[in-house]
Order: sequence, then structure tokens, then C-alpha cells
Amino acid sequence: MGDKVAIVTGGAGGIGQAVVMRLARAGFGIFVLDKNEEAGRETVELLRQQNYDAEFYRVDLKYRTEVKDLFETLYAKTKRIDVLVNLAGGTLHRRLIHEFSLSDWREVIDVNLKGTFLCCQAVIKPMKERKDGIIINTSSNFGITGSPGRTAYAAAKAAIIAFTKSLALELAPSGVRVNAIAPGLTATARVMTSHTETEWRQLTEKIPMGRAAEPNDIAEAVNFLASAESGYITGQLIHVNGGMVFT
Amino acid sequence: MALGLAREGARVAIADVNEECANTVKNEIEASGGRALAIRTDVSNEKSVQAMVEKSLKEFLRVDILVNNAGIFPTSPVEEMSEEDWDRVIGTNLVGAFLCARAVVPKFLEQGTGRIISITSGRAFQGAKNGAHYAASKAGIIGFSKSLALELAPHRITVNVICPGITDTAQPRGHQTEEQIYAQGQRIPLGRIGQPEDLVGPAVFLASDAAAFITGQTLLVNGGSIMW
Repeated sequence: MGDKVAIVTGGAGGIGQAVVMRLARAGFGIFVLDKNEEAGRETVELLRQQNYDAEFYRVDLKYRTEVKDLFETLYAKTKRIDVLVNLAGGTLHRRLIHEFSLSDWREVIDVNLKGTFLCCQAVIKPMKERKDGIIINTSSNFGITGSPGRTAYAAAKAAIIAFTKSLALELAPSGVRVNAIAPGLTATARVMTSHTETEWRQLTEKIPMGRAAEPNDIAEAVNFLASAESGYITGQLIHVNGGMVFT
Repeated sequence: MALGLAREGARVAIADVNEECANTVKNEIEASGGRALAIRTDVSNEKSVQAMVEKSLKEFLRVDILVNNAGIFPTSPVEEMSEEDWDRVIGTNLVGAFLCARAVVPKFLEQGTGRIISITSGRAFQGAKNGAHYAASKAGIIGFSKSLALELAPHRITVNVICPGITDTAQPRGHQTEEQIYAQGQRIPLGRIGQPEDLVGPAVFLASDAAAFITGQTLLVNGGSIMW
């Protein structure tokens, strides 16, 4: 797996593919974790075509035992994980509150928030022991602004910010850094197909920089946080949104 | 909070997992001539929340204000946090606020009025060492409340959040000595820790007509300890 190893959950998604490609270019061997098996294998194939080290593992992050078993397998293979990027997540269900079932609401919280918690938990001990390690979580501009129909998603994404700060405080004495990124509207296939051309134009016109983020814009921010250049940055949230939302 | 709202003329349903405490508050309200109900409620349980709202609607026929104050704060580093602890904190503090809001919203829509006030914590902004689940749940409440404010704004229903600092209740005494609590108060710009009574004015204000144009906001009531 090479000298440096990164795990990227949701690594086969639209942003995920750009992130794994960027980290591979920076010299990381990559474990691509995703629920989508087909996209996962495809992603690893793309990486290998460029002679990068990569392996795919299917996982549903809602389940503690699945996460625990998988990370044990990964540690048996590499002995060390330098970087964990928790990208997996999504709106999943978009409904007004009185039409939102408890099981759907919980699913959104669990996939986005609990999945992040479980993956972090699986790497903390070895990272602390080595006194080295980097965790990057994914929030969203909706975690700051809220979004109608996304009471659960916005709750989870706001929660990830405070979770990140708490974990950063716990791990700072060990030299392990924990930060979060907040992508704004991003031009992935999944997002673009869910809007008409007119809707997309209206959405992007409202962004100060006049365009949606490209997956690469997000990948560059992740790469920065995964590098030594951000060595004194911990507990922070980096917005990558063209000026759409501040703070 | 319940006593303060009762003083302002609200009939209050006190929903608490601790029935004895709820009854004490109920008796105090009734002793001063107000009306109150004590309903044993587990806010993390869908059926329990539904039953609580049905019971108070049966008694009072309407509901104008929901205050989401129920919360728990166990401590443990993330490394040692059990899945059960995680689920319990997120389930009570965050999912509980969702369940209570969802249970009153249909009545709010029918009435064309309603106020939701949820309680968060400074930890939502600053994180909590050994309380990552708590900090996450309290930040979650803010993201949730902003989204709900956007959903309900067309119906002129407001949704806001109050963020107390350290408050003179049993909670900080679980993990701090009296001296530590006093010292903390000295470091707060207004020179003391908060009293539960400090939260009454802000809650009554947000529930009143004076705050009709305020929604999706978080009001920090903390003596200036965090300015965000």
C-alpha cells in the first residue's frame, strides 16, 4: 500500500472520486470505502490505470460491527492509516417535518453523523499511539444555514462541526488533527441530474463566484488538510462554496 | 422555564422523564393559581411523545409554545464511547427535539400560530472534550431549528434557539466542584454563572408577539462568556 495510507469513505461518489484521485497523486495508497459496489470497483480501476495503489471495500456505515470488522481488516493489511476522510453521507430523504418518518429521519442522522463517529472511533487508538494522524470530516453549508426539507441533514451536518471540534480537543495533545470541510453546491452527477437546467442556472447565479464547486475544488481542500502544510490547523471548518455562506 | 411561562399566563404541560420533578413543578404552578399538567415523557420515544402531546391537547385544547429543554450530558472520550451512549445522547437531545416538534406542528398549522424554542449549549460552538456526542447533539439542534424555521416561516410559525452558558443547576455539579464552578463564574464577563431564572425572560420574549419577526436565530444567554 505504499508509505502513506488514506481511507476515504464515500470514496466512489462524485466528490469522493476527485478526492481519492487527488490524494493518490499526493502519494497516498487509498482504501476506497463505499456502499455502492459498482462505483467503488470502477473508482479503484481508474486509480490503478494510473498506477496508484487502491483497494475497494463495501460498507454500510450505519452498522457498528460492520465498521469495526472492516477497520480491523484494513489495519491488518497496512499497520498504519495516516489519513481518514469521512465523505460518506447525503440528504437521502427530503421531506417537510410533519411528513418525515422517525426511521427516515434517523437514517439520515446515522449515515451522516453516526457513520462519522464510528469511523473516527476506529482509527483513534492507533493514531494516538503513533502520535500522528489526520481526520477530515464533511459538513455542509446547510449545517450553517439550514434548509427546508432537510431538518435531519442540516442537523447532522451542524452536529459534525461540533463533533469535529470536540474530537480535535481530545486528540490535540497526541498531535492528531481533526478538521472539517463544508462543500457548497457541487457539480457532481448526482446533484446535477436532480435539477433542471433552469434550476441549476438559478442556483449558480446566486453564488458570489458565479458557479458551483467542481469536485476538484473540494478535493484540493481535503488534500491541503491531509498535508503537512496544515500542520497547525485543528478543529476548524473550511468552507468551499464560492462565497455562498460565511462563518 | 415552566414556572416563568406559567407566571406569564401560560397553561403548562411539564413533560419530563422524572415524574416526581414534573409533579413538584406542577404543584408549585397550581399553588400560585396557574394550571399545569405533569406528564411522564421519554422524548426519545415516538409513542411517548405522541401520547404526551395528545394528553396536553385533550386538557388544554391548543398549544402555542413548545420548549425543547430535555437533554442529557454523560461524559466519555470518543475513543471509549459506547454505541449505546452515543444513541442515547443523540436520541434524547436531538431526535427528541425532532419528535416533539413534529408532534406539535400539525396543530400549529391548524391554528395558524405557534412558537418553538429549543435549548442548545455553548458546547455546540466550542466543542466538548469528553462530550462529543453532547456537542454534536446541541449543534444538531441549531441546524435542525434553522431548517424548521425555513419550513414554517410561510405559516408565521417561528423556531428559535436559546443557548445558555454554565447554569446553576445539578448538571455542572456532575463533573465540577463548587470551587471550580465559582471560579468559572469569575471569568465570565458579567461576573457570575447563570441562574435558571436568567433564561425565563428570553424564553418569554421569544414566545411573545414582540419576537414575531425573529426566526431561525440562536440567542446566547451566557453573561458574555462566548460571543458568536
